[in-house]
Amino acid sequence: MSVQYTPVIWNRNKILYDAVLLIAVALYLYIYIRVAPGFEDVTKPLDGAILRMRAFGSCAFLMLTVILCIGPLARLDRRFLPLLYNRRHFGVMTAGIAAVHANYVLGWYYAFSPTDSYVALLSSNTSYGQILGFPFETLGIAALLILFVLAATSHDFWLSFLGAPIWKALHMFIYAAYAFVVLHVALGALQGTGDPIFTSVVAASVVLVSALHFATGRMEARRDRGDETAKASLQEKGWLVAGEIDEIDVDCAKVVTLADDERVAIFKYDGKLSAITNACAHQNGPLGEGKVLWGCITCPWHGYQYNLTDGRAPAPFTEKISTYRLQLIGSTILLDPKALPPGTHVDPVVIGEAA
Amino acid sequence: MSWKQTKDAPFFVGYLNAVPKQLVTFLLVFSVCFAGGLGIAALALSSTQNDPGNGGFQWGNRFENIGIMELRPYPVLRVAADAGNPARTYMLAGQGKRGVFNQVEKHENGFVAMRGVPVKRGDLTMIQVGRVEAAESEVTGFTPSEPIPLGRWKLTGEICDGKCYAGAMRPGQGLAHKACADLCLTGGIPPVFVSSGPVENRNFFLMADKDGNLLGDEIKPLLALFVELEGDVERLDDLMVFKVDLAKARVLR
Repeated sequence: MSVQYTPVIWNRNKILYDAVLLIAVALYLYIYIRVAPGFEDVTKPLDGAILRMRAFGSCAFLMLTVILCIGPLARLDRRFLPLLYNRRHFGVMTAGIAAVHANYVLGWYYAFSPTDSYVALLSSNTSYGQILGFPFETLGIAALLILFVLAATSHDFWLSFLGAPIWKALHMFIYAAYAFVVLHVALGALQGTGDPIFTSVVAASVVLVSALHFATGRMEARRDRGDETAKASLQEKGWLVAGEIDEIDVDCAKVVTLADDERVAIFKYDGKLSAITNACAHQNGPLGEGKVLWGCITCPWHGYQYNLTDGRAPAPFTEKISTYRLQLIGSTILLDPKALPPGTHVDPVVIGEAA
Repeated sequence: MSWKQTKDAPFFVGYLNAVPKQLVTFLLVFSVCFAGGLGIAALALSSTQNDPGNGGFQWGNRFENIGIMELRPYPVLRVAADAGNPARTYMLAGQGKRGVFNQVEKHENGFVAMRGVPVKRGDLTMIQVGRVEAAESEVTGFTPSEPIPLGRWKLTGEICDGKCYAGAMRPGQGLAHKACADLCLTGGIPPVFVSSGPVENRNFFLMADKDGNLLGDEIKPLLALFVELEGDVERLDDLMVFKVDLAKARVLR
């Protein structure tokens, strides 16, 4: 959280995150370029530029695969949440590695020609009507442009400037970038003489990314069905039954899904209950999967905090989210499904006063 | 561990430097697996790359010769037999992705002295021309032989640019190299057909159209693909020429 925009607000965890990332990427490139060629069964070594081109290209592809796996992994198992915390640095580094790959391609396959390399890139192969021989470079360019835009707008300034819904929608284009990269590889490198290992790696990437997203989607659907107590339950003057007090751990929340698929997080803390929207104002992180720390709801994604009674971030921060009214009848929690304007104070329900 | 937050579960907040102990071990194991996994992937992917062949520039073996410049239809240098070597015909390319039409057209059918660097892959040799000028003296009694017809053939293989396939790039073939091959051919480098089956023990063929003329843009959709071509094959000293009828070309894969 920050009240002013600085390029990067470093902390120990971000430094460790980036250090692990840099070490892993450097290890990959070093082994690919310097170590593994010693084990190649070739008559003469590959051109250095082509070797580096392949090293950076495959590295970017694997990094993109991991990036896309982090989201669903963090949904399926909370221990992966720390990987999400600094994922934007992962993305920016991937865009950089992909740019180096593109630079080697431009400086090798499209160089040494009377035609300008950028002109040649777009004009040398225009067989868009055929699958075999399709100008797969165009797909790589499209993916790279998306990665550049996402990297350039990854900073919180752009999140604030564009607003969370637009920013989030823009960054969903990472899936389009991945699709373009898979097609770029499938119609390019994989069409060469058989390379079973590279083919297997690409196939494994697609299966892994798809399977994790499918599993996460199923889990979310199951959750929604389980949380629908509020939808089809006893209604009393517009109030919905949200569950029992015992279902909620202290300083944690129960998430209920309303009829319009809006999710509400009901927190239990200090013998009280408060309800707020489940979506964090920062990046729509699931607040109901967070915890109460120092008297504030704390988002599990980036640690954004909100007061329990009014949904406002503690001063000097200015974010605010919708609140909801609650009632307690015996041990049963009732929820008014009408969201109050962000930042509206609602007196918490005191558990001891119930029944 | 599931997505659901509980009172006792560790809770990571990025800007707090202290990471819950239960997560430290998990994250350490993940970091090692991540870096190790990338390292293993690099070793597996890089060490199993396909052999780009034995082609390459022969930098220590400069080409210097006198011969007759012909256009068949691409520029070739016909060199007389000498000291136990039979007569040879060399394909020619310029610097980078450029042909040598402009340099050699004025010398057509004349004797030239040529300097360059051979790019050689097996029995395919392409000369990257450095300097070419009219020879001060002719090679006495040398008259290049006429092409020997070897009949009509249907061959499968790949159309490449002769320079990259000869070893100017390793690898210099395949779809990943298609755009480069396209640029080379546009620049005037002769196209070469690399056949999967030999004709008189030769797998490389200088290409021309069915009438022996230069190939145009109609060749481009077929570049770098596995294709079947039909046409007449001729032998010009040690160089095979494939006069293809592109109307009958088929993409096999």
